[in-house]
Amino acid sequence: MNAIETEDLHIYYGKNHVIKGVNLEIPEKSVFAIMGPSGCGKSTLLRSLNRLLELNEDAKIKGDIRLFGKSVFDMDPIIVRREIGMVFQHPNPFPHMSIFDNVALGLKLNKLVKSKNELKKIVKWALEKSALWDEVKDKLHEPASALSGGQMQRLCIARAIALKPKVLLMDEPTANLDPVSARKIEELIFELKKDLTIVIVTHSPAQAARVSDYVAFLYLGKLIEVGKTEDIFENPKEELTEKYLTGRMG
Amino acid sequence: MLVRKIKDKLFIVGIATLTFLTILPLFHIVFSVAVEGLPVLLKGGWNFITGTLAPPDDGLGGIGPAIVGTFVLTFLASLLGLPIAILTGIYAAEYPNSLLGKATKTLLMIMMEFPTILVGLFVMQILVVPMGSYSALAGALALAIVMMPYVAVYTEEALRGIPKKYREGAFALGLTRFNVVFRVLIGLARKGILTGVLIGIAKVAGETAPLLFTAGGATRTYFEGINRPVGAIPLLIYDLVQQPYKNYHEIAWGASLLLLIIFLAIFLPIRLSLKEVKL
Repeated sequence: MNAIETEDLHIYYGKNHVIKGVNLEIPEKSVFAIMGPSGCGKSTLLRSLNRLLELNEDAKIKGDIRLFGKSVFDMDPIIVRREIGMVFQHPNPFPHMSIFDNVALGLKLNKLVKSKNELKKIVKWALEKSALWDEVKDKLHEPASALSGGQMQRLCIARAIALKPKVLLMDEPTANLDPVSARKIEELIFELKKDLTIVIVTHSPAQAARVSDYVAFLYLGKLIEVGKTEDIFENPKEELTEKYLTGRMG
Repeated sequence: MLVRKIKDKLFIVGIATLTFLTILPLFHIVFSVAVEGLPVLLKGGWNFITGTLAPPDDGLGGIGPAIVGTFVLTFLASLLGLPIAILTGIYAAEYPNSLLGKATKTLLMIMMEFPTILVGLFVMQILVVPMGSYSALAGALALAIVMMPYVAVYTEEALRGIPKKYREGAFALGLTRFNVVFRVLIGLARKGILTGVLIGIAKVAGETAPLLFTAGGATRTYFEGINRPVGAIPLLIYDLVQQPYKNYHEIAWGASLLLLIIFLAIFLPIRLSLKEVKL
């Protein structure tokens, strides 16, 4: 089954037409990469999936986005965002809260836990899942701002998966990290796809090749090519895709 | 080369002189208030703080009612003004593009610069005249109106200064707008908001004009209820200086030093922690 489908998706910022008729089918429990040069609209596309884009009053969306067959525009955006978690390009744990509270916040405010024990269990589970538990188990109540960049990003992953979303969006999650931290995040992606669907935006074809099962190439708001990662990388059908993959473009 | 160096030196000396002239009044005020006020405080002792006003030409007595009054007025003004002001700031920050949001910001800026004596007149019209008496409530309301724009503007700026990524991060967790604002953003902006609150309090603790037609003043009786007139240190100074008695002038100096100390006690910590306020 497809976790996410988009149908003739158009996105406008004011008069700018930034996403032009994109059709995607993102299979369940796979890693789906959206790659393309800077400014091609990949982040915009990603943000439309969990309806975060609509926080921007200038953004207009046409077409449909379906989550497991159901249009997200028929759902409460709050529910959509609980089912589709997100990790951002800049690690953004809330710096005034403790590591524990960062993970617990969504669970508590969305009333997803019944007892303190359950809360502790899920927080521990999420931190283990995001390969952070061993590093932070003795300082759960210290502020999140004391962590390194890579740890912060894994904390953001823990915070997102604590809500047990069906889909996780990742917007260039390693762009601001050192290579070692970036590799840890990529390894984590392999672990996480056992349980959920991951849509990752990257400007690096190499990263797309390493982590994804499917890849879509976006250029100037248009979907140029989409398919299994190995097919696209070994046998691109479009000239633009080949140019991009061989580094002759952006 | 030499000419340029001389020009450079002249420029720096010029600027230093002007800067000195600008801050000179501040040092003069602090210095003269300390020199004139300190002997009064030492002579008056504890009684100066707890006692009531002496008769003309008969010692110092105390300014207790005015001190208590200032604290009562400031407290009541905070009670009335802070919640509304903080909510107004949140509104202006959350809906900056709505018509009301834009108007709010502009009106707050005007309110900040508004002649405070007009605030006093307004409160006299709507409270003092109908109640038939000056009162602590009327004084507090006038001070609350003076305080609100400062607190609201600081709240708005503190919230707007939060990097967008935290806001998006909070929304991405499926939080309601209420929770995003009140459970995440307010916490991030807490230092900026607290600064606004303290600046608002410091501002009204020393205000005289809004109290002239509202609080009424009391020098020999302590706080008797929010519907009764109440004293305040600035109001007391204003009254005493106009009297022909030498001891009243002395008391006014002592009261001035106390007011300065109270003001600095609120204001200095804010200024010293201002670096922390920036996120």
